[in-house]
Amino acid sequence: MLALKSSVIDLKHSEKKTLIGFFCLYIALCIVILIFISFVYYKFQKDFMLSQKRINLQNYANEFIVKLKQLHINFDKNQLYPRDSRFKTAIYDSDKKLIFSTLKSTEVELDNIVYLHNKSIHFIKEPESYYLGARYVILEIEDDQEWLFTLQQQILIFTSTGFIFMLLIGYFLLRLFLKPMRDAMHLLDRFIKDTTHELNTPISAIVANIEMINIDELDEKLARKIRRIDIGAKTVSNIYQDLTYLTLNNQIMSQNEKIDVSQIILQRVEYFTTLANVKHIEFNLNIEKDVFLFIDVKKLSKLIDNLISNAIKYNKINGFINVELKQNYLSIEDSGKGIKKEQLQRLYDRYSRFDKTVGGFGIGLNIVSMICKEYNLNIQIDSQIKIGTKVELQW
Amino acid sequence: MVIKLILILSLMLGYLNASVYQKECISCHQELPVSIDKYFYRYLLKYSSETKVKAAINQYLQNPSRDKTVMADAFINRFGLKKKSKLNQKELESAIHEYWETYKIFGKLK
Repeated sequence: MLALKSSVIDLKHSEKKTLIGFFCLYIALCIVILIFISFVYYKFQKDFMLSQKRINLQNYANEFIVKLKQLHINFDKNQLYPRDSRFKTAIYDSDKKLIFSTLKSTEVELDNIVYLHNKSIHFIKEPESYYLGARYVILEIEDDQEWLFTLQQQILIFTSTGFIFMLLIGYFLLRLFLKPMRDAMHLLDRFIKDTTHELNTPISAIVANIEMINIDELDEKLARKIRRIDIGAKTVSNIYQDLTYLTLNNQIMSQNEKIDVSQIILQRVEYFTTLANVKHIEFNLNIEKDVFLFIDVKKLSKLIDNLISNAIKYNKINGFINVELKQNYLSIEDSGKGIKKEQLQRLYDRYSRFDKTVGGFGIGLNIVSMICKEYNLNIQIDSQIKIGTKVELQW
Repeated sequence: MVIKLILILSLMLGYLNASVYQKECISCHQELPVSIDKYFYRYLLKYSSETKVKAAINQYLQNPSRDKTVMADAFINRFGLKKKSKLNQKELESAIHEYWETYKIFGKLK
């Protein structure tokens, strides 16, 4: 029973990179905006808290200055610095030199009026007359930090909500950007699907009729013509199968079974022999017997067909193709023109073609990649210009 | 007679060894009804720091005027302005420094 998989748009590497880049940039921008808003809110709340405390501090400062004045008047009789349990104090002269202090910290910002210092609030007051030479009177009270705890909770809730909201917006924006790309891909896929559907009947008729002809009974000239038709029909059939695979088969659940890979490879090599003979390409086979794989037979054939077909297509005249099969290993090596290093990365992208001197749609290796991904086959392509390309599969 | 002579001699020696501040400031201020420390606290109240207090006293002593005094008008009206100091700059600075060191607040608060 066949079941349809969900249709997934296979984005190109560069497109994915651009989208990931855009999304990362968007996220970074969102984080910067949220941090900025949180910082502004924190500043606002801190200033609000300080302005509330300032009223009390102002009263304390006035009380303290009265005591300082008394001490100034009676300094010859009394030198006891005024102290209060509600706050700590310090006095500085106009050169900002400390006269006396009961503060916890010696660090003060005399140019400020009210500020937070560690877990204390400092308030600076300049009396009208400098009693005991005190131009700056500093009051210090403990900060219970309750406001900070509440603020942290508010910021956490705000940033989390804001971040989720912006993520959602980002997701919709991404979908909006992807829409034209998706439409273009769907259009191309639909076109290929329609075209392949129309090709089905004539290709089947050609292939079936050629198979029915007994070439041995024909004269040499006619046999040669029939062989050419056979090659042409097989090429078209192969393209047709690729296209139908892409537009239909990749959405169908696989019917996996234990397959003798050795046998399938021999069959596919035989199938492509006629095609290889045209370019006088020699197959060197090193096939171990009884290599089995749990796979859909159609997909395995498609995988091998594409690799062999590429090895023939991009090979030179009088070249060779080495096919090696061992337990958990398959390699197909050709003596073709090779692929440039920078092109290797985009090799599996659909509709990517690097050599337009030969025919094709640029979908072969895309199919290979999809099948490898489905069956966790590790694919490795090594290529050297003018020496050849080696495709290795491990499972 | 001998004791009187010794007393006079020791007083003379003491005077000769006394600092500029002792000789030139204390000697006169002792005769005034307002003790010398009261002036200091008035300067402190107006000028706050050591450098500013010293500079203000220095300027006043060199050129006393109603504008520069820290004392109330009633005080000036009653006792008048001080005469211009005849001390040179070095002596003046030395006397002011001793005055500051004697009455400064630093290190005295408990």
